[in-house]
Amino acid sequence: MTNVLTQEAPASRDQLAQKMSVKNLDFFYGETRALKSVSVPLYANQATAFIGPSGCGKSTLLRVLNRMYSLYPRQRAEGEVLLDGENILNPKQDINALRARVGMVFQKPTPFPMSIYDNIAFGVRLYEKLGKADMDERVEKALRGAAIWDEVKDKLNASGLSLSGGQQQRLCIARTVAIQPEVILFDEPCSALDPISTAKVEELIDEMRRDYTIAIVTHNMQQAVRVSQYTAFMYLGEMVEFDDTDKIFTAPKERRTQDYITGRFG
Amino acid sequence: MAEAALSSVAKPAAQGDSREKVLRRFELGDQAFHVLTKTCAIAVLLLLGGVIFSLIHGSIPALQKFGFGFLTSQAWNPVTENFGAAPAIYGTLVTSIIALAIAVPLGLGIAVFLTELCPYTLRRPIGIAVELLAGIPSIIYGIWGMFILAPFLQEHVQPAIIATFANVPLLNQLFSGPPYGIGIATAGLILSIMILPLISSISRDVFETVPTVLKESAFGIGCTRWEVIRNIVAPYTGVGLVGGIMLALGRALGETMAVTFVIGNAHKIAPSILGPGTTISATIANEFTEADGAIYTSSLITLGLLLFIITFIVLSISRLLLMRIESQGAR
Repeated sequence: MTNVLTQEAPASRDQLAQKMSVKNLDFFYGETRALKSVSVPLYANQATAFIGPSGCGKSTLLRVLNRMYSLYPRQRAEGEVLLDGENILNPKQDINALRARVGMVFQKPTPFPMSIYDNIAFGVRLYEKLGKADMDERVEKALRGAAIWDEVKDKLNASGLSLSGGQQQRLCIARTVAIQPEVILFDEPCSALDPISTAKVEELIDEMRRDYTIAIVTHNMQQAVRVSQYTAFMYLGEMVEFDDTDKIFTAPKERRTQDYITGRFG
Repeated sequence: MAEAALSSVAKPAAQGDSREKVLRRFELGDQAFHVLTKTCAIAVLLLLGGVIFSLIHGSIPALQKFGFGFLTSQAWNPVTENFGAAPAIYGTLVTSIIALAIAVPLGLGIAVFLTELCPYTLRRPIGIAVELLAGIPSIIYGIWGMFILAPFLQEHVQPAIIATFANVPLLNQLFSGPPYGIGIATAGLILSIMILPLISSISRDVFETVPTVLKESAFGIGCTRWEVIRNIVAPYTGVGLVGGIMLALGRALGETMAVTFVIGNAHKIAPSILGPGTTISATIANEFTEADGAIYTSSLITLGLLLFIITFIVLSISRLLLMRIESQGAR
């Protein structure tokens, strides 16, 4: 958690590639308009935090980025969401392929009802036919990547449900990493964890930035400061302000942002 | 504010007596409730014990006369008072197995469709239709089976089946003989329709217990609907599904009225499942009123005892399975 201090100053935004880019996005639950013309970039190999009071649309936005909303009837998105320049809202978009590129970690740990090993291997098997040795290697790499290898290496055949909450969450991160996505979405990944597990997961997210583009929804503003380089403040379905995390938390331009981060509402 | 809090504390102390009285009354009520519920629980045990006792007591004469041969004998002769349970046991098991073989895949299919795939607008109508199916009294299934289904099978389906398998070894035994319409297969078919709602509604409820986030995280790594159902929903719900199927089996084993109508009531074990047979409950229902001799009555009660034991075994197996799966999950 000390990495805030040692963090290099964010590179100038013009030099950064936009891995994903949301443009004039509207989102509807039936008749209700949950997102109002939202535009925001996700810079490559940077972590972008989404903050705002409950119901402001942060999670909804995240669920658009990997088309999770498409599972449900009466939910629809209008506008553009570009991933490497291609609009993923295009009806012809292969959703399963998209979700392999844009992974997601949920609020509550959700290990699959299978062994620790299979929790990782399951996702990999969907896309690749690997031999036993290669698969073992991939599983180990994913578990190491999620900083949980040492804790589980002796019980890979135990059920994923037998782990503690924090371990389960890191298992879920490992599962997401194993299929080698390009973008990882975190939906309040630490809200069900104790402080020590939270610290581990946050440290992990910060390290993962080297290999992935990260978007994280959080209720915890300190967490946003600790893990993100960019922060977007949302309110009532609108993107109020997007800027460097440092600027948002030290010198926000908008009054509403100021009020929120100083705890005046929300 | 502080004063008010103080006085609210002080007040009951002043009225200590009345509070004690109230507490005593509560305690009395508590005890009465305790005794009441305990009595109810014990009454269940007593009832169960009473049923077991009277079944065993009633079956003693028949068991004394026939011994364990009762289980294997195919005889059923009221005149010479020679009885055996083999055809009834056979019919009970085979009709139930046929029913499960048809109803389990259908019921699971319905449940999967309703929970995972069905368009929102169709969900309620189909769900209600399935539940209405469960509300139809069994006598109506019996009448329908006898007057509509059996003649239809006799004219259109059974001849075709018999002709198709005529030259296939083993199967030609299973599907042989004249198409009666009524018989073991028809009874199994009726049973399958009767237990279908049970299986589909239980498995639907069970499927709905799968947390949405769990499914979403599977979708989140790029699973298709089928992969989610196969790898996440199915293992997660295994326990509940086994329970639902066993419940349905219990219902099929004991179902009386509809089966009695369409099974043909023949006390013999035919190799063909198209032929008439009987089940334990159908035999009891058919013959209890005309059972005059002591041995005849006792034989029927023994059949009842057998049904009780079979159901007990089914439930035990399901319990064992459930325990095994549960301990797997906890591991």
